Amino acid sequence: MAGVQVGKRIIGATGPVTVGWENIPRVEGGPIKQFVFTYFQPAMLFAAILFWYYAPNWLAVASTAIAIRLGWTVLLLALEWVNPRHKSWQLTWKEGVSDAFYVGLGMTFIGMVDSYIGDGAILGAVRGAFDWEKFSWFTGLPLLLQALLISMIFDFGQYWMHRAMHNWHPLWLTHAPHHYITQLNVQKGAVGNPVELFLIGLGIGGLFDFLPRAFLLAGAIGMTVGVYQHINVRFNTPRWWRFLFNTTEHHSVHHSQDYEGTRSNYSGTWIIWDRMFGTCVDGEAEVLGMEGGRRMHIGETMVFPFREGWREGKAWLAKKFGAKAAAPQAHLEPAE
Amino acid sequence: MSEASGPWGATSRPERTSRGFSLPYIDMIWRVRGEVPIDPALAPEEAFARLDPLLRMDGTTVAAEGNTLTYAKLNPAAQDKLATFTRGRLWIERAGAGAVLRFDLFSHALLLCFLAPLLFLGFAQLAVSLNDYEAAAAKAEASQKDKKDDDKPKPVKKLNPIDEFLGAPAPEDPNKKKDKKDEDEGRHSPEPGYFLAGLFAALYLLGRWLEPWLVRRRFRAALATPVDPAAT
Repeated sequence: MAGVQVGKRIIGATGPVTVGWENIPRVEGGPIKQFVFTYFQPAMLFAAILFWYYAPNWLAVASTAIAIRLGWTVLLLALEWVNPRHKSWQLTWKEGVSDAFYVGLGMTFIGMVDSYIGDGAILGAVRGAFDWEKFSWFTGLPLLLQALLISMIFDFGQYWMHRAMHNWHPLWLTHAPHHYITQLNVQKGAVGNPVELFLIGLGIGGLFDFLPRAFLLAGAIGMTVGVYQHINVRFNTPRWWRFLFNTTEHHSVHHSQDYEGTRSNYSGTWIIWDRMFGTCVDGEAEVLGMEGGRRMHIGETMVFPFREGWREGKAWLAKKFGAKAAAPQAHLEPAE
Repeated sequence: MSEASGPWGATSRPERTSRGFSLPYIDMIWRVRGEVPIDPALAPEEAFARLDPLLRMDGTTVAAEGNTLTYAKLNPAAQDKLATFTRGRLWIERAGAGAVLRFDLFSHALLLCFLAPLLFLGFAQLAVSLNDYEAAAAKAEASQKDKKDDDKPKPVKKLNPIDEFLGAPAPEDPNKKKDKKDEDEGRHSPEPGYFLAGLFAALYLLGRWLEPWLVRRRFRAALATPVDPAAT
């Protein structure tokens, strides 16, 4: 494969990737379908912002957000059914159940662990140790600005955590299972080893004091923007949207089988971080995964970082201290 | 070819040999049996050749002997049409002038989905237990030191004038709501666990109905399609 030069890199040399918006197919169908799949994303974003901006206090609570999220997921699954981006990514019963398992794990077990050692607990300890006052002046800023700050600060942290995962081997081992997914669907963001899901959820937003409503607004931005990174829906995404925000197209390049492609588009919501730091590739890919698209089942996903870490740690020690060399084995090349 | 040794062990159907404890219908949870009518003129080799495109996928081992075919899959790809059924036995039976393809399929996915509610009920129970444990620990701690910081009035946060102008509701006064809510609910909620247990039970029922229906439809479609000599 020849690949295409993007900046200083050749994208698509080791796996099929389509580079450039002009090469991406558009929604096929009548005018109503065209209209819906062109304006759906911005309409939902503005609707969510309006809702959380004006919802009375009794309604503007976390449980409302959870209920909306549930209905939203069902709606997006229906969109995947109506207008899939790739037929080969169509959700099957088994794949859907497997995705639901990872989501369930995040809602129960990982959430429980998070409450003890997650960012909330860490930042609480940091603040307690240094007796810092929160940056309380943030609460006086306009609500939407607060929400943008929360969303962008969190995503900035996520960008660098994600980029570190692709560049430092111990972190890569936690993230690798997520790269074994062979198709994108709404719930695929939850697929991965729990250690990675814990790490990627860490943020520094809690260090600052924002109004609760601003957090709900920021959550609404994440729900109506970041959610599309793993979705099997063909949209005619507006130009301004795909300039600012991460899209399913961007994220499919990140999951492609092309090594350089996977080293692109690290952000979750704001693709402008990638544009700023030189890692953005505008394009898309259909053929995804690692090791030529080998599927990783749930059991292996759970043990992978530990198993590989153990094997590689042992091999490294043997090499370092000149002990008997470990039996040769296929070296797992980080996609990075 | 005789019996193949697949990734899950021997692929032929293990016959029940023990006469002791048995639950007659329990294997309906993970096993799917059924039949598809076939053209009686179809030789077994031809019938299995027609099924071959369905079966010939990465990670699948297939063995055919006489009128019986067995297969086993190791972690099939998401788009493998038989991905739900990780091993199976198919055989042709003739009755009078007609013939049927019978199948007996085993599904790890159905079994695990059936068991998943137990796992999530376990997580819900864990949440309840942790709450109880923490409530007890907090009680012990509270009895040792008297609570003082709660009485300090918290600052009331105000909206930015722009938001006031646009009509966003003002933040609540944090001093007002000192309900019993905080005391009743612990750090963890068992509700997601209960919800997910119910969800997986529903997904199991859906899958137990949908997947056999789909597999029957796929077998029927494959058997009705003659093998294209150019494709082989």
